[in-house]
Parts: sequence; C-alpha cells; structure tokens
Amino acid sequence: MFLNTLFFLSTFLIFLSSISLVTTKNIMHSCIFLLGSLIGVAGLYVTLGADFVAATQIMVYVGGIVILMLFAVMLTGGKDFVSRAQALMGLIPAMGNKFSTFVGILTAAVLVISTSKLFINLRSAIPQNKMAATESTVNKIGKLLVTNHVLAFELSSVLLLGALIGAAIIARPKKIF
Amino acid sequence: MITLESYLLISVFMFAIGVWIMIARKNVVAILLGIEMILNAAALNFVAYSKFVTNNLDGHIFALFIIVVAAAEAAVGLAIVIRFFQIKETIHIDEATQLRN
Repeated sequence: MFLNTLFFLSTFLIFLSSISLVTTKNIMHSCIFLLGSLIGVAGLYVTLGADFVAATQIMVYVGGIVILMLFAVMLTGGKDFVSRAQALMGLIPAMGNKFSTFVGILTAAVLVISTSKLFINLRSAIPQNKMAATESTVNKIGKLLVTNHVLAFELSSVLLLGALIGAAIIARPKKIF
Repeated sequence: MITLESYLLISVFMFAIGVWIMIARKNVVAILLGIEMILNAAALNFVAYSKFVTNNLDGHIFALFIIVVAAAEAAVGLAIVIRFFQIKETIHIDEATQLRN
C-alpha cells in the first residue's frame, strides 16, 4: 500500500515536472523543475527496493548537479537569462521557432512509437519474478563494488579526477594562459 | 499491480522529454538539462530490469556508474558553458560555430 502510494506520487511528480520543464520560459525555473523530476525518480527507486541508489540519486543529483546548474545559470545570466525572443506563436515561450518545435515533437513521437512495439509481447517474453522489496542492498552493493566490479570502480575514480582537472582548466579566467 | 511495463512507460516518457528539450530549446544549459533527463531514464530502466528480470544487483551498480558519469559530464559541460559565455557573451546555441576564437 505504501509502495503503491509512493509510486503514484512519484509518477505524478515526474509527469508534472517534466511537462513544466519543457514549457517554462525561465531557465532558473527549468532547473527547479528538473529537481522535482529527479526527486520523483528517487521515489521510484525506493519503490523498486533500491535504497542505496535512491540515496545516491538524491545526494549527487539534488545536492550536486542541480546546484551546479543553478550556479552556471547565475554566472551566465546575461541577456539570455529569460529567452523572450524565442516564443512559439506567443504560446510556449521557451520553444524556439515553429520549425524546431515541430522537429522536436516529431522526433520524440517517432521514438515513442518505435519503442512502443516492444511493449506488446513483453509480459510473455520475460519471466517476471520479484526480489524481496524490504531488504537492504548496501552491504551487497559494497561487496560487489570491490569484487566483481572493481575495475569499473577504479576507472570511475580516474574519470572523476580527469573531469575535475579538465573543468578547472577549461573554466579558468581569461587573463591567465 | 505495479509491473515492469509501468516503469518502462515512465522511462520512455522521460526519454522523449529529454530528446524534445535537446532539439527544440536554444539555451545551452537547457540542453544539458535534457541530457540529464535522458541519463535518468536509462538508469531507471536498469534498476527496473534488475528487480523484475535478473534478480541480482548488477543493474544497481550500473545505475551508480551512470550517476558518476552524469556528474563528470555536468561538471565539464558547465565549464564549457562558462568559457563560451566569457568569449561570446551569450549562451545561445546558434552562436557556437567555431572551436577556437
């Protein structure tokens, strides 16, 4: 019962935030709606029994990436802060001109239609069996990270170091070369 | 009740929203928001299949690595955005036509 309620709340939050994320005019509001959508995905992780992934999602995305996006929006807050000049017939202000909106909706529709054929035979094709939903996964994930997946774990640390140094070099001030 | 198809439908919806943002919007930060939506849809698929189909935790591990790669990508992408704003004084995507000034 609790899981069903959480599932429907999270789904509602994701749908509402995603639609608002596309159609809002202010890029700052877009970042806030992205935050709502990511919290909804974390709720879906909880309903799937993935407690560690849900906690990591909230810590990294909500505490890190969205704040980083907000800082980037504020640092680049020039005349494009509110994109007034790009309104679609005065209706949806953030959506570029008519052509780009049409191409975007067309591409999304083609993707949805082409993937929706996968849903027809899904239930008979895949045997659905469930894990226990109330079991903690932190211990098992920790053991898997240092045994089976240790190479990917170490490579991700190298990737993060490279991204750190690269971001610091790219975003350096203009005078220092 | 809550089946695999419901999670996959939500994931398809998030993916389509991300593609729509990436194509239609002209702000570079908004395009990065669309990329984050697409990565989240992929990670949600991995965790859903890990619960309903494979019954082990490899999908969770993969979702964690997706989050790590998304963090690195956001850091480098926003650094590029800030640098681009220093040079061009705008973050409109149509102004990004050359690799060096």
